[in-house]
This record gives sequence, structure tokens and C-alpha cells, in this order.
Amino acid sequence: MTLRLRRLLLAWALLMVLLAIEFGGSFMPLGRSARPLVLVPAVLMVAAVGILFMQIGRGIAIVRLFAVAGLLWLTILLGLGSLDPLTRTDYPVQGVSPK
Amino acid sequence: MSDTTSLPHEFQYSSARHQAETAIAGMWLFLATEILFFGALFLSWIYSRHWNQAGFDAGAQQTNLTIGTVNTAILVTSSFVYSVGLAFIEIGNKRRLIQCCAVAWMLGFAFLILKFGVEWHGDFNKHLFPGAHFAITGELSGGARLFFIFYFVGTALHGLHMIGGLTLVGWIIVRARRDEFSPAYYTPVAAVGLYWSLVDMVWIVLYPMIYLVGRGS
Repeated sequence: MTLRLRRLLLAWALLMVLLAIEFGGSFMPLGRSARPLVLVPAVLMVAAVGILFMQIGRGIAIVRLFAVAGLLWLTILLGLGSLDPLTRTDYPVQGVSPK
Repeated sequence: MSDTTSLPHEFQYSSARHQAETAIAGMWLFLATEILFFGALFLSWIYSRHWNQAGFDAGAQQTNLTIGTVNTAILVTSSFVYSVGLAFIEIGNKRRLIQCCAVAWMLGFAFLILKFGVEWHGDFNKHLFPGAHFAITGELSGGARLFFIFYFVGTALHGLHMIGGLTLVGWIIVRARRDEFSPAYYTPVAAVGLYWSLVDMVWIVLYPMIYLVGRGS
């Protein structure tokens, strides 16, 4: 039990450290388009909560399948949805000033 | 979850353990649909910010970073405390389970008070609701309005999930006080813990989207 509690406490400490890194990193002088990099610690925090608090690894096979399916469909949703804004080229139109 | 086969179970399951595993798998399936539900919200952020970066960032700079950061720490801690409670019931310590659930519940309630009682109140006072008297004017107004639509819709949806989570944690406390859980049977405690952690995860993603990405640019 003590080992389990220690692991949970370490997980909480890790999450707090990641939160501090995220908070501090948000003040870095990044360009407007590079600002979403601030989300990287958040992704690590989500993974930590999933593995250490929700214990995905301890679940039966179908539990892991559902978790992976959720992530897969989220990736497809965000990937396909982002294709247009991230790849479209805006060509100048005569008489219209660019944004 | 169940460690013994002697526990009663519904007829369609081969054992109590089978029933418990099915319940947990069902919760994970529900969580997968929740991931996609919030995925659409995250996609709206990607799309709206890409086309309105300056306005979006101008909106983000008006948010209350202190409350957002404190609330993130509160919710992560609440999820941690609930997980400790789950570990305690696995070894049969019901008193600690109740105490941990009570602390997790109070932390969740504190989040809601800070979010809606303090932060939203301040946002409305500063005319940040994207209505008739919106505070940000000029060429950045359109993007800032989009940001605050995302902000209010996102935090309201998350808040509704928080209320659902608090109800469930309260239900676990009531059942634990009735002595309904033991090391052999604690499936509802584990299932509610999964939901509570997912609500935490959603906020962990919303926090930088709302408060951090638009700052410093």
C-alpha cells in the first residue's frame, strides 16, 4: 500500500512540475504560429493522468482497445479537420487588402 | 472490481469478476465518446485561432491567468486524492475512502466556485461576454469574440461535466457510508474515478488553450 501511495504521490508531483513548466513556458517569446507548442506539457500531463491515475495498463484488453480507439478517432477528427486551415494557400486578390 | 467468484452477479455474466470487467469496459467506451465530444470543441479552437490569431490572442490576454492556474492545480489534486481513496478501498479501508472522496468533492466544488462564482462574474463585469457591449473593439473584435465564444462554451460544457462528476462522487460517499464497498466489490468507485480523471484531462487541455497560448505573443 505504501508503495502504491508513493507512486500516486510521485504522479501528483510530476503533474505539478509539468504544470509549472507549462505555466513558465507560456511566457517564452514564441512567434504567434509557434505558440501552440505551449500545449506539449499538457499532452504529457494527459498521458500521465491516463497511465498513473486511470491505470490504462492494468485494464483488460478491451479497455485498452477502447482507449486507443478514442485516441485514434480523435486524431482522425483533429487531423482531417486541420488539413484545410494548415495547408490552404491564400493568394492575393486584386483590389482586396490582405488580412 | 471483484476478486472472488462467490459474489452475486447478474445471469448474463459468468462471474462477478466478469460483470465488474464489463462495467469498467463500458465506462471506457463512454469515455471514448466523451473524447470525441470534446474533440469537436478542440477542433473549433484550432480552426478559429488559425484564421483569427491576433484577435484570438487579444481575447486570451483578457482572461484571469491566476484563477485558471489555481483551478488546474485544484483539479489535478482532486483527481490524485480520489485515486488515493480508490487505493484505500482496494485494501478495505472504507473510512479513508470516504475521507478522500470528501476532499476530492470539496476540491471540485472549489473549482466551480472559482470558475463561475469569481471568474465568470469578473468576465461579465469586464464586458467580455461576446454580446452587444463587448469590451474589445476595432479590427481585433471579431477574433476576440470568437475566442470568448469558445471560452464560454468550453468552460460551460466542462462545468456541466464537473457537476455530473460531483454528483457521482457524492453518490460514492453515500454508498460507502452504507458500507456497500469492500476489497471484493468496489466497481462503482473505480468507474467514477475514471470519469473524474477524464474531466480532469479535459481541463488540462482547455487550460493552455484558454489562458496560455495567447499570452506572450
